[in-house]
Amino acid sequence: MAPSAEVLTVRGLSKSFPGVRALDGVDLALHAGEVHALIGENGAGKSTLIKVLTGVYRPDAGDITFQGRPVSFATPLEAQHAGISTIYQEVNLIPLLSVARNLFLGREPRNRLGLLDFGRMHREAEETLRAYGVRVDVRQPLRTLGVGAQQMVALARAVATDARVVIMDEPTSSLEPREVETLFEVIRRLRADGIAVIYVSHRLDELYAMCDTVTVLRDGCRVHTGPLADLDRLTLVSIMLGRDLGEVRSEGLTKFTGDHHAADSEPVLNATDLTVPHKLHGVSLDIRPGEVVGLGGLLGSGRTETAKAISGALASKAGSVTVAGVPLRAGSTPAAIRAGISLLPEDRKSEGIVPGLSVRENIALAALPRLSRFGLVSEAQVDKIVDTFVKRLRIKASSPYQKVGELSGGNQQKVLLARWLAMNPKVLLLDEPTRGIDVGAKAEVQKLVDELAEDGLGVLLISSDLEELIEGSDRVVVLKDGAVVGELTGDDVTEDKLMQTIAAGSPGPGAAGEVTRHG
Amino acid sequence: MKHFAHRRHLTARPVIVALAAAMALTASGCAKSEDDAANKSDSSASAADAGQKVVTPKPGSKGCTIAAYGGKKLDLKNATVGFSQSEKEANPFRIAETASVKAEASKRGLKLLTANAQSQFSKQISDVQDLLAKGADLLVIAPLNSDGWEPVLKAAAAKKVPIVTIDRKINATACKDYVSFIASDFVDQGKRAADQMIEATGGKGEVAILLGAAGNNVTTERTRGFKDRIKEKAPDLKVVFQQTGDFAREKGQQVTEQLIQSKPGIKGIYAENDEMGLGAVAALKGAGKKAGDVKIVTVDGTRNAVQGIVDGWISGVIESNPRFGPLAFQTLDTFTQGKEVPQDVIIEDGAYDAKNAKSDIGKAF
Amino acid sequence: MAEAAIRPAALDRARVLQWMQTYGVYAGVAVLLVVNIAVTPHFLSAENFRTQAVQVAPVIIVALGMALAIGTEGIDLSVGAVMALAASVTALYLGYGLVPALLTVAVFAAVVGLANGALVAWVGVQPIVATLALMVGGRGIALVLLPQLKDLHNPALASLGSGDVLGIPYLIVIAAALALLVAFVVRRTTFGRQLLAIGDNRAAAKLAGLPVRRVLMLVYVACALLAAVAGVLATARLQASDPTSLGNLMELSAITAVVVGGTPLSGGRVNIAGTVAGAVLIQLLTATLIKHDLPPSWTQIAQAIVIVLAVYAARGRGKR
Repeated sequence: MAPSAEVLTVRGLSKSFPGVRALDGVDLALHAGEVHALIGENGAGKSTLIKVLTGVYRPDAGDITFQGRPVSFATPLEAQHAGISTIYQEVNLIPLLSVARNLFLGREPRNRLGLLDFGRMHREAEETLRAYGVRVDVRQPLRTLGVGAQQMVALARAVATDARVVIMDEPTSSLEPREVETLFEVIRRLRADGIAVIYVSHRLDELYAMCDTVTVLRDGCRVHTGPLADLDRLTLVSIMLGRDLGEVRSEGLTKFTGDHHAADSEPVLNATDLTVPHKLHGVSLDIRPGEVVGLGGLLGSGRTETAKAISGALASKAGSVTVAGVPLRAGSTPAAIRAGISLLPEDRKSEGIVPGLSVRENIALAALPRLSRFGLVSEAQVDKIVDTFVKRLRIKASSPYQKVGELSGGNQQKVLLARWLAMNPKVLLLDEPTRGIDVGAKAEVQKLVDELAEDGLGVLLISSDLEELIEGSDRVVVLKDGAVVGELTGDDVTEDKLMQTIAAGSPGPGAAGEVTRHG
Repeated sequence: MKHFAHRRHLTARPVIVALAAAMALTASGCAKSEDDAANKSDSSASAADAGQKVVTPKPGSKGCTIAAYGGKKLDLKNATVGFSQSEKEANPFRIAETASVKAEASKRGLKLLTANAQSQFSKQISDVQDLLAKGADLLVIAPLNSDGWEPVLKAAAAKKVPIVTIDRKINATACKDYVSFIASDFVDQGKRAADQMIEATGGKGEVAILLGAAGNNVTTERTRGFKDRIKEKAPDLKVVFQQTGDFAREKGQQVTEQLIQSKPGIKGIYAENDEMGLGAVAALKGAGKKAGDVKIVTVDGTRNAVQGIVDGWISGVIESNPRFGPLAFQTLDTFTQGKEVPQDVIIEDGAYDAKNAKSDIGKAF
Repeated sequence: MAEAAIRPAALDRARVLQWMQTYGVYAGVAVLLVVNIAVTPHFLSAENFRTQAVQVAPVIIVALGMALAIGTEGIDLSVGAVMALAASVTALYLGYGLVPALLTVAVFAAVVGLANGALVAWVGVQPIVATLALMVGGRGIALVLLPQLKDLHNPALASLGSGDVLGIPYLIVIAAALALLVAFVVRRTTFGRQLLAIGDNRAAAKLAGLPVRRVLMLVYVACALLAAVAGVLATARLQASDPTSLGNLMELSAITAVVVGGTPLSGGRVNIAGTVAGAVLIQLLTATLIKHDLPPSWTQIAQAIVIVLAVYAARGRGKR
């Protein structure tokens, strides 16, 4: 990479929210044709920095220079028009509009009458998306696409708007490996075209594969900037965490301790023949107390659906779920919860937290009936539970009365874990428990999962982070297209075996033909 | 997905229909209102005998004949008459009006088609088109609005169907778009109300007006008549307050409450219909005033208001006679026989005051 | 130290908006009181305050229920119709005595609430559509039951409408008691917390095992019952049952009171004190314009301005 002109320069940027100093005098210099990693724990200020750069927030202090001119974007649209495009962690397109409309939103091709030229739009959309490995009917609403494909549309959209700077906020968090490869292709092309990329991710592999430079934020301050090749992984992690190198080394990269001793007891959870039209085709699995069972498979293989069918959030058309030998009523979340099943959902924002309510109320939410007498909430009992879990899970909030929506992703996840642990569950279904949370919180969550299993809980672990899945699970059940295609036990619980099983496995007889892939 | 959405709507409706039916059944099954024991005052039945008298074909008003209008003679006995009512029969005026038309139709033994626009002008337009389509030979229309009748009138004119409008005029050419209109003179009602107010207050002091619904020509005309007459006859009587009561009793009550608080010296209240006047009475009672402290004059002539005179709370009521049936059919009869009818028929409205309220309360509707 | 570095202009605007949403309604009430005391003759009198309070009481009661519905990210357009229905049923059953009549009213209101709740919670109809059905249908039923205004001469009902305890009219006492009750329910009960959670994030509430449907049903039943109470009180005050016009446009007044009072239409938050103040604000606004004999259309314009300000403040708060 030849050293080239600074396309974006940030100096002394500060931004505060009530009670939080999110950015404190941050500097950043971005060169054309550079892929610049921006990393840090959750709450370090990455998201705020991005939002300031793209006009979502106004900075309290500091200057932004873009292509040599000082700028101050009032809206994301202004930033986009100027040439700064963003792909957010959560796809923020319009689900009900067609794929093509989303791709061209705000710059639709028009015919001579000033009306939308749909023919041209659809043609160009198909062409553009083909370059991103997405082959879909662009006339369909965006929401009919899988999350990965949606992400690709968002990316194509960002790049197509003649951007000089593309900001990617955890772009791979919901992509399949094949899609990740496509993404990397696109990033290489951007780099060759002299476009600067800010790349935010928690996945070290990706950073080392793609990025030239790295800036590390911690607690709203910039703590390091430099070429990525000069840092080894452990050094990088230690800078992020602000810990001694030795400490990090001794703790390893994940927090799992290894096997649990659960082998011989009766299963606490027994799910047989779970069937949900188009999604699950007779999935069976069991979990013993003290065992962490991993659920492996690609995006859309039915992992989330399996967890939801067990917890009653999806009604299974056939089969049964028993907890400690007692059968559950299908399709009833309250019944599953009463029986001791707790589901930590994949989508923390839309299915997990209640953002406007306090930490306290979020933790107590599911347990409310137990914490109430005659319909009146016992504040003393709530305080006790909240206190216990805030301490045990080290939830960082300004007070128990702070709104959960204001917490970092990691702390939100801990609040949700607290909500379920307050129910004294027998089985914990964890769907992507560490997605999108910072390294520190990730380690804590992993350690907690271990402890919970030690205490005799049955845990189902879904994770697209292979390392986490392999190291965290005692046993891995592998799904493909809504059916179980294999199970790894003992020494076979390795990444290689998992890949092999996914690659080799074919879904159960009869199901293969009619399976449609959803995201 | 589509199928599902569709079914949702289908399931929603029976719920409501069943609910409505259930409620209506329960209510009619064992309801017992205060006066069930006493005999019900049946205003509409007794109404029929007190028909209307023509004051004048308006001075200078021309006549209209079949020859001028187009169309053919017919015998009213074999004719089908369409009647389009503007509002739900939920107030005494509309109840008496519709009852009067129906009673006259059955008395003459002709076939009557009715429709009610439920206060929606677009519905009234389609009502009238419906009536024409169903074969009405003649139309009686109580218009909700004065304007916007062109499309209907075109359709009627094409069929040469004679139209008589009652209680309100429509803005169109008489004897071309319609035959004639029969109505009260709302300006004159306002003037006569002013006369009563002047008499009750002695022509001095401050008075208030409770206006009818905004943008309604009844409101404008009753206001104009009242103010003109006051200006002309009793310059010492000042209108210091005019606020809308929307022709509704509760609104009349609320506005009057505000009025008597901010203007305690108010001598009289002119309410542009009886209901607002009765609301004013309720407000005065609530504020601890005695009957006659504030003089109230209203327009309409409902039984409740006339009773208010008897009780001493109301000083005078100007009648707005709703019994258009006899006169409307009389006009149509004359017209279809080929004779000339006046284009503007103004009816004579009575009045009630302390002298005749007791004896004439039977005439109230 | 952190505060010093903050650029004043940007923060001031955000602060002003946030302040406006939280306290704007009280400030508005205070301003109107001061202005009226200064310029409106006879304003500063016990009688006048009594009048304003009595007139606003039914609006407050309806708005309390509306606040609950809006707290679940719903809305109830049928409240005005329920008031009319309550008026009809009261008139129809008063022959059995006041208490039996009121119980019958409660039954009718509960049925309407259950129907609304069932459509919203079980059939999954949008609240605005579900309650629209009964906004139209409810008044229709009311008019079937009682086709026209009817004077009532029941002494018990009359004293409910115009009587008082220790000089405070029943209407005010009842409205205040209900406001306290609803505020308590929202703050202290399981039901209240669940209601807010459902309003803020329905999917999360469902996955947390909350009885979403039951809570929604209860909310719409409560809303209908409160509207019925308002309908009975207004009827008692008028000493006449007027299903034609009683409660006309009440849904709009109630929604305005709730929104102006700082409860967001997006659900998850219910501000009862603000709702009461919102209703009072609109009452004072109307009273001011009436007392000064300004054209009635001004009232509507003034209300519109207040709503726009409230919505603007709410928007400003959401965007940081």
